[in-house]
Order: sequence, then C-alpha cells, then structure tokens
Amino acid sequence: MTEIVTSQTPPILNGPSEKERKYDRQLRLWAASGQAALESANILLVNSGAGTVGVEALKNLVLPGIGRFAIYDDALVNEADLGVNFFLDESCLGKSRSQSLTALLLELNPEVQGAWFPNRENVTSLESLLVSSPVFTAAIYTYPVQPEHLSLLKTYGLQHKIPLFGVHSAGFYSYFKIGLPGAFPIVDTHPDETATTDFRLLTPWPELLTFARDLTRDIDNLDHMEHGHLPYAVILLYYLDQWKLAHSGVSPKTYKEKTEFRKIVQSAARTDNAEGGEENFEEAAAAVLKTLVSPSLPSGLKEVFEYKSKFPAEERSGFWIIADAVEKFYAEHQCLPVPGNVPDMKAQSKVYVQLQNIYKAKARQDAAEVLNTVRATEGGQNIDPAEVELFCKNAAFVKLINATGGDSNSTASAGDHLKTVVDQELENDKNAEAMMMPLSLLPIYLALQATSHVSSANADEILAEICKVVPGANQNERIVKAAHEVARAEGGELHNIAALTGGMVAQEMIKIVTKQYVPIDNTCVFDGINSRCQVLRL
Amino acid sequence: MLKIWSMKKEQQKAENAEGAAGGKKKKVTAAQLRVQKDLSELSLGTTMTTEFPDPDDILSFILYIEPDEGMYYGGRFSFTFNITPNFPHEPPKVQCREKIYHPNIDLEGKVCLNILREDWKPVLNLNAVIVGLQFLFLEPNASDPLNKEAAEDLRQNREAFKRNVRAAMNGYTVKGEAFDKVMIQ
Amino acid sequence: MASADVYPASEPARWKYLDNVRTRSGPHTNPDIFDGKLVAEAMENMKVLVIGAGGLGCEILKNLALSGFKNIHVIDMDTIDISNLNRQFLFRQADVGSFKAEVAARFVERRVKGVKITPHNCKIQDFDEDFYMQFQLLVCGLDSIEARRWINATLVNMVDEDAEDSYKPLIDGGTEGFKGQARVIIPTVTSCIECQLDMHAPRAAVPLCTLASIPRQPEHCIEWAHVIAWDKEKPFPSLDKDDPEHITWLYQKALIRAHEFKIPGVTYALTQGVVKNIIPAIAATNSVIAAACCNEALKIAANCAPCLGFPDENNYMMYSGNDSIYTYTFRHEKKDDCPVCGNLARELIVDPDWTLRELVESFAVRPESQLKKPSIRSDHKTLYMQSPASLEAKSRPNLDKTLAELGLSSGDEIGVTDPAFATVSFKYKLKLQK
Repeated sequence: MTEIVTSQTPPILNGPSEKERKYDRQLRLWAASGQAALESANILLVNSGAGTVGVEALKNLVLPGIGRFAIYDDALVNEADLGVNFFLDESCLGKSRSQSLTALLLELNPEVQGAWFPNRENVTSLESLLVSSPVFTAAIYTYPVQPEHLSLLKTYGLQHKIPLFGVHSAGFYSYFKIGLPGAFPIVDTHPDETATTDFRLLTPWPELLTFARDLTRDIDNLDHMEHGHLPYAVILLYYLDQWKLAHSGVSPKTYKEKTEFRKIVQSAARTDNAEGGEENFEEAAAAVLKTLVSPSLPSGLKEVFEYKSKFPAEERSGFWIIADAVEKFYAEHQCLPVPGNVPDMKAQSKVYVQLQNIYKAKARQDAAEVLNTVRATEGGQNIDPAEVELFCKNAAFVKLINATGGDSNSTASAGDHLKTVVDQELENDKNAEAMMMPLSLLPIYLALQATSHVSSANADEILAEICKVVPGANQNERIVKAAHEVARAEGGELHNIAALTGGMVAQEMIKIVTKQYVPIDNTCVFDGINSRCQVLRL
Repeated sequence: MLKIWSMKKEQQKAENAEGAAGGKKKKVTAAQLRVQKDLSELSLGTTMTTEFPDPDDILSFILYIEPDEGMYYGGRFSFTFNITPNFPHEPPKVQCREKIYHPNIDLEGKVCLNILREDWKPVLNLNAVIVGLQFLFLEPNASDPLNKEAAEDLRQNREAFKRNVRAAMNGYTVKGEAFDKVMIQ
Repeated sequence: MASADVYPASEPARWKYLDNVRTRSGPHTNPDIFDGKLVAEAMENMKVLVIGAGGLGCEILKNLALSGFKNIHVIDMDTIDISNLNRQFLFRQADVGSFKAEVAARFVERRVKGVKITPHNCKIQDFDEDFYMQFQLLVCGLDSIEARRWINATLVNMVDEDAEDSYKPLIDGGTEGFKGQARVIIPTVTSCIECQLDMHAPRAAVPLCTLASIPRQPEHCIEWAHVIAWDKEKPFPSLDKDDPEHITWLYQKALIRAHEFKIPGVTYALTQGVVKNIIPAIAATNSVIAAACCNEALKIAANCAPCLGFPDENNYMMYSGNDSIYTYTFRHEKKDDCPVCGNLARELIVDPDWTLRELVESFAVRPESQLKKPSIRSDHKTLYMQSPASLEAKSRPNLDKTLAELGLSSGDEIGVTDPAFATVSFKYKLKLQK
C-alpha cells in the first residue's frame, strides 16, 4: 500500500553557517561581498619604533577575517614593549618582535594566515620580502621609519598600485596618512537612508502617472480608509496635476510656490474622521520641499565625470566604463537612472507593493539602457550586470577620493602643497574663536612629522625641523606647544592613543579593501588632549 | 586624581547649599518618582477608576473604563498597566484584559494606540495614555485596524457593527468568536 | 615647558613610555593639580571598575592594564556567544558559554604581569552603594540604556558634598557600526546620562495596526510574527531570542506572511536582527571608542593633561567613520530639571513620633515646597497618595501611623509630588530625631 505523506511544514530552512554566525555583527555592515574582499586581502605591516599602533590596526583586521598578513619588524622584544604592546608577553623578551607578534595575533582568528620577517631562512631584508612575497593588497608602515624602507615601500606601492598607510603615534598625538595609487572611486558609499529618496515627481514617466491617476481619479469620493491610505507620492502627483492645470502646466519652482503648494496639500487632508486628520497627507506635506526638486548632477558624480575627461588615459576599469555610460545616459535624459527604492510610507500593502514595482521596473529599464551602452564600449563586454545595477542604484552618491589625479605617494611638490595648507590653516585659526570653529590640528602633524625618521628629539630639534618646511614656525605658539608635547613622549607610545589610531586605520583599511563607505582623503590627525581629530588633504 | 572636590566647590552656588547627602539606603528611582507624579496628576473623571493589587507597587495597576456614551456605553473594560524601570524612556505596556469586539483592540487584548508605541515620547504622561484609551471607545478607528474583521464590519455597515458590539459586550458569539461579557448589570 | 624629571613606576624599564608622559608635565598640563612624583603610586593604588566585558569591555580592560592601573574589577552577567568572536578579542571558540567577565579578567591578568582583575559574573543591580563606593573611577562599555541610567542614578545619589571621594567619575562609551561616542560624567558636576538621554534615538517602532493589517516591509512581517503571531500561537512557553529554534519559528511565520503580501526581503539574518534589535559592531570602532574612554581615565587619574568633563569644558566626543572620519567634541549642558542630577535629595529632619499626617501637613509650610496636596512614597512603600482615589483609600490608614510605625528610619529617601508643581518633584532624605 502506498502511503502519501503530506506535510504542512515549509521546506527545511537552513540557519546561518558557523562562519556567518561568527561574523554576523560585521556582515550587517558590509555584507558577503565586503567579507569576500576582506578574506582575499593580504596586508603588510612594516613595524618600527615603539611598535604598537600598527599591531593594534592589524588586530582589528585579523578579527574580522582578512585573508593573510605579514609583519616586517627587525626589533627584538624588550622590556618597554611589554608596557605598551598587548600582543607580547614575558616569554617573548629577547625574541624577534615580528615572530612574537605574529604568533599572538594569529590566536585571534584561526581563519587568518600570518607570516613574520626577517626570518632565519631566506628573507632577511624588506627588499627581499617585497620581491619574494605574493603581492600585498595594502601596506601599513609606522613611524619612525628608516628612509630606505620608506623609499622601498613607495616604489612597491607605485609598481603594484596599492595603498600605503603611514602611521605615527607618540604620546597624546597621532596621525595617519593614506597614499592611494590613483583616483579611488566608491560606488557603495552607504549614504544615510533618509537622503536616498528620489521619486522623480517633477518628471514622472507614463506608468507612474497612470498608476497615480487611477488611484486618485475619484479622490473626493474615496472612503476614509482608501483616502487615508493613498501613498504620499501619489498624493503629491495628484496635486501637482491640479497645480499645473492652474499654472499653465508649470510645476511649483520657487520656495514660495512650494510652500503654497504645501498648504494646498495640507488643507486637502480630511478631518471628519476618527483621528481628526490624515497621516498620509501629513507625510505628503512634510515631503514637499525635499521631493519637489528637479534632477541635477550631484557633486560626487560630477567630479567623476570631470576626472574622466581630464585623465582619459587612466586605466579603464569597469567603474570608468560604467561611469562613461551613465554620463551618456545623463546627457540624453537630463537625469540619472532611477534608483528604484521606495521608502516606507503609509499605504495599503497591495498599493505600496505596486508602487514599489513601478519604481523597480523603471530602475531595471534604466539600468538595462546603461548596460547596453557598457556592452557597446570596448572592454565593456565582460562587465558584471550586477556592477552596473549597483552603480545605477547609487549613482547620486558615487564618490571619488584622491581626485587630483596621479599618485599621492609621490613626494614631488609635496613640500609646496604642505606650505599652502599650513598658511591656510593658520589663517583660519585667527578667526576660529569668532567663528566658533575648533583650532587646526596641523601643528600636531608638523611636530610628529619632524620626527619621522628619528626615535626621539627635543623640542628645539623638532622646531628646527619644522622650520625647514614652515619658516617662522618657532614663532607660532601652538606649533611650539605641539613640539614640546611631542618631545615629552620621547618617541614613546601611549597604549590608548596607539589603540585609538589603530582602530581608525583599521576602519579605513576596511573601507578601502571592501570599497564600501567613504575613506578619508587623505590625512587624519588625532589630538588626545582635546579628544578630537581633523582630516586634512596633505 | 582629579580634584573634583575643589572644582565642585568653585562651581557650587549657594542655592544648592543644602543639597545632597550620602547614605546607603535605597533611593527613589527616577521612574518611580515620575510614575508617582503622573499618578497624582491623573484626571479620571467619572468614567475611570484604578485598582492597585499591591499599593506599594505603583508600577503595575489596572485601569477600568466605563464609557458613558457611544457604542460601548454600558460596558466595563479593564486594562493592565505595566511600567518598566526604563520609564519614561519606554512607554508603559498596556493590555486589555477582556476579549472584546473592537477594531483597534485585538482578541489577545493588544491595543493599537500610537502613543503606546511609535509616537511615545518621554514628555507624554500616563494621563495622555488613559485619555487615548478612553477615546478609542468613543471613536473606534476603522481605517487603521488591529482587528480587521471588526474594522471591515464598521466600515461596511455602522449599524450592524453597533449591533455586533452590543452582542459581544453581552458575551455572545460574533462571527464565530465568543467574547467576554463586559456589560454592567 | 616640559619638566625634565621622570618619576618611574616600580618597573621603570617596562613603563618608560607611559612614565615619560604621565609623570612629566607638558605644555598643556595644569601645574595646580599635577604632581608627577605621586602619579605612578597613586594609579597603582587606584581601584577602577569596568562595567561590561563585551566589545568595549575587552578593549577597556586591555587599555587600562597598559595605562598603569593595577587593581581593576569587571562586571558582566553575560556568557560568551560565537557572534562575539569577531571583536571580543579576549575570547576564543573554546570559551563559548563561559562568563565574559571571568574569561576576560583571566586573560588580561595572564598577559599583563602585575595587574589584578577581579571578575563579577552578575548584574550591576546586584550590588549596592557600598560596593560602588570602593572605586575611584568607573569605565562603562554597555549596550543597554537601562543599565546606563541605573549606574548613573546610583553614582549621582552617592555624591556627598562633604566627602571628596564620593564623586565617582563615570566614563561611558558606546558604538554602532562605524560610529560611536565617548563621554565623561562627573556626577552632579557635569551633565549626566539622564540629562543626555535625548542623545539616544529611541528605537523606531511601527504602528501595531500596520503590522496587523497593512505590512509593507520585510521588517513588518517579522515584527508581526514576533508580537502578534507568537502571542497568539505560543509555540514555546516563552520566547528565547538566542534559541535558533525560536528564531526559526518566527522566520517561517514571517516568510509565510511576506509571501501572502508579496513582500520581498525576509531572511533569517534580518529576522534575528529585528527580533534581537542587533546593532552592528566591529573591532575597529570598539578600539577607537574604548581607547578614547581609557585615554580620559588616564588623564583623570594622572592629571598629566586636561580631560573631558572639567566644569565648563567639553565632556562629549561623537565619532563617525561612515563618511571620512569626523569627530565632534562638545560640552553637553547639565539640565536643571534633570530628574536625576537636577533633583538631589535634601535632608529632612523629622520626629519619629510624628504621624504621617503631621509630615504631610509640614510640607505646606516648608519654604521650598509649600505643597498643598503632597503625595509621598519611599522607594518600596506607598505612604500616602492623594490620588488616584483607589490608592488614596488604600494609603489613607497610614496617615494616623507614626513614622516609626511605618518603618521609616534615618537615611530613607522619600519622593514628594504635588499636582500644583507640574515639572518638579522633591526628594528628601529623612533624618529621624526626637
């Protein structure tokens, strides 16, 4: 006899894997794609000096699961290391610092691989490491750094087009500077959700108009339930139609017209119901100023387009080919592809889902058009449609870092640029109090930078060094104080400042490796006395 | 160690001179004091009464509402109030104890009232909540239902809905659901 | 500007970097309160309490141990979960299920020689003021607002103007994703956590009726399963948000509902996130915020540089790493009407033979109150409430009892409210005296 088994239970649902559970709290930030990027990253740390800040940065990268790291550090562990570095203990005294650090860092995450140098085998210098190792995704070096190590790293960075992080932490002060191998575009910038509403109410397409008109055809005779659940985008489209009828086909443009329009919407809400008002009309009125805007080119994308025309010879990665296609789209339609997301709003489920589908369909259609252009471009045949979709969805928030072009690791003309920034910052400081602005942290950078290659210096030596770049710096009280504060540390790190800076460096490394969120451009200075930081382009 | 004491002395104004005194006894918490204040400001009128099963625990009590007009006239409805130590950062938890036929109260006693959830703000007080509850019996809202069948009923035919409310209040079965008898004899 | 002499700790070679900075004045050090000779020893004798041994707590313990503190206590009631391992770097796979405070304390003690860390595997509410009084400094890395409010109110209540050591600085950190904040609270001196409550956005809630009848988002379907379907069907005696079976039940319910309304996007991870109100967390941000907190702890303990939380100075640092790096360091103003620090208990001398009625009547003539209809409670007893009527009736018999008969004794605190004073309530600390 055959038995027919019927079951009401849905198919077995697999819970998260062990790895997904371990990384759950970070996957909510950068998703599987970001995690995959991290897991294929290979990070080099060239460690020197007191030696903590780079290790703290590395710790924050090992924990979320970078693929591998290497530490180059020729120091032997001494007593002072144990008072500042958590990844060393008594048993490490006198041993290779890179070896000890690597062992204790690897305990943090069994999925990460690590190597230490110089080792007793083949790799005895940084040069031989850079030659023999698989290519690093990025490198971190800590100050004070040997000049020859720095020049080796810069050459390597240029050759392999990888980002270099220079980090300096001494006493209460620190800074780090990211040298990117060229312009760095980010598509997945994670903008604030409230900023992403883009309804195109002033330039609706036929499907959207038809949908809105169908719902509002008999608006005055809708029952309270239906009237009170018209999506606010639909309400606005209806009253825009009405407005245009009365204003020879022109939408409200000026602030005055928009507030007048808002009043019309507000007064259209019904009050003869249980609530004595209507939430959806309140939502509509509140959205007038934000949503009744003509499409325009956001500054980030404009920068991308301009950069593209300035540096046409730049390597044509997928990003630039798509950017090209989006620019063509914009030229043709005077607007960007529709992003397709619809924020939550008061509406009935069915109507909301329909509205969502109208926006999604339009977004797909626009993305398909961009994809066609991409496909017709040389080198665009193999670009992943998902990449095109993501670009279209985020087009308004695409950002370009290090957009002045070229390699920010190069030292040419760096001195002149620094001088200009110093003049500007010191000038701003004169008015800072009146403007209620915080003072510049550039003096801290100058004082730290003066000890880039020495383990310790007194205030006079530091000031003399600063004066080489900024003549007369010894007359500036804040620079003098910064020099004294740096001298006080004698090149030593405070663990807290090293940990804090290591945290910031790790955040930035994650942003650059995952190409998500927006990294700094390009130097971040931290003042542990006043507990604040400043980002400067140096 | 930071010289907090000297800092404090400089800052101290004469008006606070008789201020705090140390001690090891239990202190009145901010939530308790706030509930005490809210309770002493309740205006219950003639249609509402409270009951405190444990008068020393003012964080849980029962509110009775006897509407004197509208379609729920003649009924006696009770709500449990449970207030957490995180009050007024969090709203009080309110639940109807009887199974009643109401578009904004479900069969488990959950109440859909904006200020009990999405629109709660610490500046609101218990009085605002009880006013809101009272209002639900005078003006049931069919547009934002928690009990969809009741709301549909109200929208389709107000008179039939009223009859069903009376039946439910008398403890009869409406649309296959048996309700609690809440009529006062 | 910098003084030359270093006053080393007991192991000078080991702590030389720290001693260079903490025992020598710099250009920003306030000479009136700094004495380098005393720093190392003072810090070694200081007892510091760390609240929370999670993402921030692990970092805080490490940072304090490497800042020269030797006697540290840590409280945490939680046990280690696998999802902690991406950032709580003192824990390993094998520690899952063990108490966080215990494992963290042992680890740091092992790693940093000479530091003593005492773990308490319990809730902060399990301890009273006697316990908190033994510490000179508290550093707090919690994820719950309720716990923060509790410790804040406790510390404010402990302040005794005549006792310097009753002021316990509280350094509090918090993170969410790439963002966070660090703040210093000096009870009754700076604005307190209660004053700053509006800095915590309340959790966004969706109307119940939306969940019940017009869901539009995957989150609505999940919340429906969580608050409506669960209560109705009670598939398990009580909801354990850490039990995968329970989450799976909610997930399936939400999936079915989402399917019914054609709403895409319900996943297991989202279900878990909504139900547990999971806040994304990474090691890097915890590292930044915990270190910012411990940097203030070092400055407060050593006076070697100005700290946050000085009167009329900044007390709050906001940090955001989503879009570049941005910090905003500012002074959050104390609120005069703060229910915790704006309303300290005053001393009230009363005769134990007074009846409660006499006490009630006495408030009518007290100059600062002049209350016509005062209601009075102690922390655990309703003494007399003028309203609502049911409570008045139940508490009325107390009026004829003496204060002694009501069990009141010196040191008890009472709260007094009166509808005539819409915005203030009064707290008194009783002193019984014949």
